[in-house]
Amino acid sequence: MRIGRHTYAIDYGHLTLITLIAVAIFWYLLDARSVSLSINNILLVQPVAIFALAMYLFILPQCFRKVDAREMAKAPAEQDPLSPTLPSERSDMIRMAALGISLGLMVVLLDVIGFDIALFLFTAAAMAICGERRPLHLLIFSLVVTVVAIYGFRALIPFPMFTTIL
Amino acid sequence: MIDLSAFQDALGIMFSSVGSWGWIVPGLIVGLVFSAIPGISITMAMAIVLPMSLYMDFFSAIVFLTSVYTGAGFGGSVPAILMNIPGSPSSFATTFDGYAMSKKGEHNEALGYALFASTICGIGGYLLLLLVVEPLADIVLRIGPVEMFAVAIWGMLLLGSLGSTYISRGLLAAAFGILLGTVGMNTAGFTRGTMGIPVLLDGIAPIPAMIGLLAAGQLLSLAGRDYIIEAEGAREVSVRRILKGCWGTLKFPGVLLRGSIIGIVIGAVPGVGSSIGNLIAYAETKRTAKDSATFGKGNPKGVVAAESAVASAEGGSMATMLALGIPGGGATAILIAAFMMHNIVPGPSFIETQKPMVYAIILNNIVQAIVLLAVGIGFIYVASNIVRVRTRYVLPAILVIATLGTYAVTGETAGPITLFVFALLGYALARYQYPVAAVVVGILLGRMLETEFLRSYQLSGGNPLYILERPGALAIFAVMFASLAMTAWGKRKQNKAEAEEEAAMLRLQQEDAARGAHTTASKG
Repeated sequence: MRIGRHTYAIDYGHLTLITLIAVAIFWYLLDARSVSLSINNILLVQPVAIFALAMYLFILPQCFRKVDAREMAKAPAEQDPLSPTLPSERSDMIRMAALGISLGLMVVLLDVIGFDIALFLFTAAAMAICGERRPLHLLIFSLVVTVVAIYGFRALIPFPMFTTIL
Repeated sequence: MIDLSAFQDALGIMFSSVGSWGWIVPGLIVGLVFSAIPGISITMAMAIVLPMSLYMDFFSAIVFLTSVYTGAGFGGSVPAILMNIPGSPSSFATTFDGYAMSKKGEHNEALGYALFASTICGIGGYLLLLLVVEPLADIVLRIGPVEMFAVAIWGMLLLGSLGSTYISRGLLAAAFGILLGTVGMNTAGFTRGTMGIPVLLDGIAPIPAMIGLLAAGQLLSLAGRDYIIEAEGAREVSVRRILKGCWGTLKFPGVLLRGSIIGIVIGAVPGVGSSIGNLIAYAETKRTAKDSATFGKGNPKGVVAAESAVASAEGGSMATMLALGIPGGGATAILIAAFMMHNIVPGPSFIETQKPMVYAIILNNIVQAIVLLAVGIGFIYVASNIVRVRTRYVLPAILVIATLGTYAVTGETAGPITLFVFALLGYALARYQYPVAAVVVGILLGRMLETEFLRSYQLSGGNPLYILERPGALAIFAVMFASLAMTAWGKRKQNKAEAEEEAAMLRLQQEDAARGAHTTASKG
């Protein structure tokens, strides 16, 4: 994006994250105020929400960086051992997204297809996403994890776990 | 200094619940293993095992979790010494001289120095805590809602401002966490932010949210790696030489004492923790040492200074947690969640009414530090291979355990769903350098903050000048500003120390490379 003589790069991921957080906070503030304007209701919520929204406005410009400044900022961050940067290569991002989706599908399907099948499918999918291609390894390790997890947690917790096979 | 009758009762608790001692070794092993794997933090380990402690009795649960905490204090130093990779940020300073010793073939001695410094200073930190509990109880009893509110705000501000490179991002994370913590019905009976979902009436379940933010979210980011870390091969381990290192630690009592004091003081301040303490202790030891030129080239004092601060910081952070109910970071936040799971709220009333239990917890931590000596030596044998575990096996297994762990809390799939939502949030926050621990602590303290603020408001009748009648609160606000200034100073010093050490290490590497090139040229 060009403004005047300067070219700016927009960090869309960061912008989306903070905007979502700001929208959630703003909605929460409106929701709290719609319940009651009594001081007992908004004493803490209102000032903290306003403070958070002010922080959002303060952080917002950090999502827009001059292109040359951005490239310079990248180099020291990669060398800092105390704040390792998360991988940003496309293939890594796809793997992370796939793993996230698998996790989401598993938690949604726990009560639908049973804990055993959901855990087995998730383990196999996660192994495949992380690079395992040998079918036997996929099958055996997923089975072991499922059996140990189901029987282990059954022994540990008093709640019933819906399973289809085990 | 010590309430003898409570102390005797504490011994009674210790010996009547011998079964709980059995959790020390598994807890230490979990802590050692997790903290030795770079990328998998101690907070993650504690978050994952937290639901398991739900079905133990209170004392066993705390023994187990504090053992994980104690084990992790030393575990991070193993890859720091063997591979120049800090297992956790708190082991960063250990790499400076630990790895240099390792390169000279003195890795066994370095591990011995680290292990014994961890043990001695871990015990020292808790002994000091044992002595200050009684006077601390007298002080915290005078704390009212205004003071509690001030303390909680102080903790949140520190966590927010220190947990991230960007203070603004830290403060947004802390505020967002507090708001998440107030979702549901408040103490005055008003219901907010539930979106009509009945489960949210009691608020967001803190444990699944915590596991999602601290563990699952961070694990997702490892999906792109084949190995969690590419490490060097295993090295030969010699118990005799490790013990020689242990014995050698005693030659540096001044270094141990200085490191301990720095660790305890810094550990007690919320949000600072051992990740800064070890660097400051290292820098101070180097500054005052006669042989400061040898630091960074394999001086054992460097290892001892760094590890003594890490180990003693645990006692300091436990003091803040037990006395005020304010977690200093992710690990103590999980301990507070464990207290809450057993319907116990740490803080002024707990320390006064449950003094024997407080003493018993402290005494057990001293036992853990002693047991660590034996377990730690055994662990060193396998540690160099642990870091070579393939992601494809570790990741699915841990995520499955984490998911079932959240189900174990209430027996509803709301737990795993909360885990998933907060895992995505945790991943996104970590990606853009927001301190995830600040959100976690906000969720934990949000409700308490609102309750104390409401009580303060009711007591004062809405008059802000009421604070002038509360010298305690005024003092806390003064301490808050002083500590903010102190920690800002500490942060600057940390950055300076890091920059200096990195420059020194770079210089050393360049010298080595130049020497190597010279030798090759001479041979040629």
